[in-house]
Amino acid sequence: MVRFSIDVIGQALVAALDGDLDLHTCPQLKDALERTLEGHPHVKHLVLDVKDLTFIDSSGLGVILGRYRAVQARGGKLFFVKANPHIQRVLRLSGMHRIAGFVDSTKEALERV
Amino acid sequence: MKNWIKIEFPGTSVNVGFARAAIAHFAAQLDITLDELEDIKVAVSEAVSNCVVHGYREKSGNVVVEASYEGPRLEIIVEDFGHGIPDIATAQETGYTTLPEERMGLGLTFMGECMDELRLYSEVNVGTKVVMVKNIPERQLG
Ligand SMILES: Nc1ncnc2c1ncn2[C@@H]1O[C@H](COP(=O)(O)OP(=O)(O)O)[C@@H](O)[C@H]1O
Ligand SMILES: [Mg+2]
Repeated sequence: MVRFSIDVIGQALVAALDGDLDLHTCPQLKDALERTLEGHPHVKHLVLDVKDLTFIDSSGLGVILGRYRAVQARGGKLFFVKANPHIQRVLRLSGMHRIAGFVDSTKEALERV
Repeated sequence: MKNWIKIEFPGTSVNVGFARAAIAHFAAQLDITLDELEDIKVAVSEAVSNCVVHGYREKSGNVVVEASYEGPRLEIIVEDFGHGIPDIATAQETGYTTLPEERMGLGLTFMGECMDELRLYSEVNVGTKVVMVKNIPERQLG
């Protein structure tokens, strides 16, 4: 199961993720992120708080990368907040560390956008 | 000591998390680190997801997952009876996917990174079997 909350703060979409993000749970997140991006054309940046994310695989990464492409087209950036070592390893394996910033707080992400 | 389990379930996405957790619980009988357990969860999740997404694309069928260990060698087999893979070498290339709109083509790469051995057997319209091995070294206490 995955739970998430989504806020728009200035030009950033801030999403806090909780639980396992896999083939079964990622469509929910995908729909919610897409709807928020469509409803807020001024939003340029994606800030994902993954402190409580307990699992991610390539299905979950696909959803994040797809939404990154959308914000990238708006000139925005992607940040992961509080990625634990396991999540970091999967993000690294996928090359995500080359396109995203890793920070310790949402505040830090918002300062860096 | 030798031990094994075998589970069979319909190839639907809701069972991906179950398979991942079940195999992690089985593997936890070994003297295993949290990092090794996470690797196993990623590999099983990717393999079972492939059965659901690719093996049973536009059809349905069961997935069989077997796990066994003897000494430090943990073997995991994930099998479907679906479409099969026409060209295994190409399928294993990082970034290759037959569903480029929605997928990243990283599943087989992740399985290879997370496990010590990865072997694929597949026949078109018969099915696909993934055999993965992780060596769990014996650890000294204290
Ligand atoms: N169980 C399977 N049945 C049929 N085709 C498969 C199976 N597993 C993998 N494949 C093929 O191999 C390709 C690469 O798989 P993978 O690396 O997991 O990437 P992805 O799942 O993102 O497509 C898939 O796109 C698919 O064509
Ligand atoms: Mg895959």
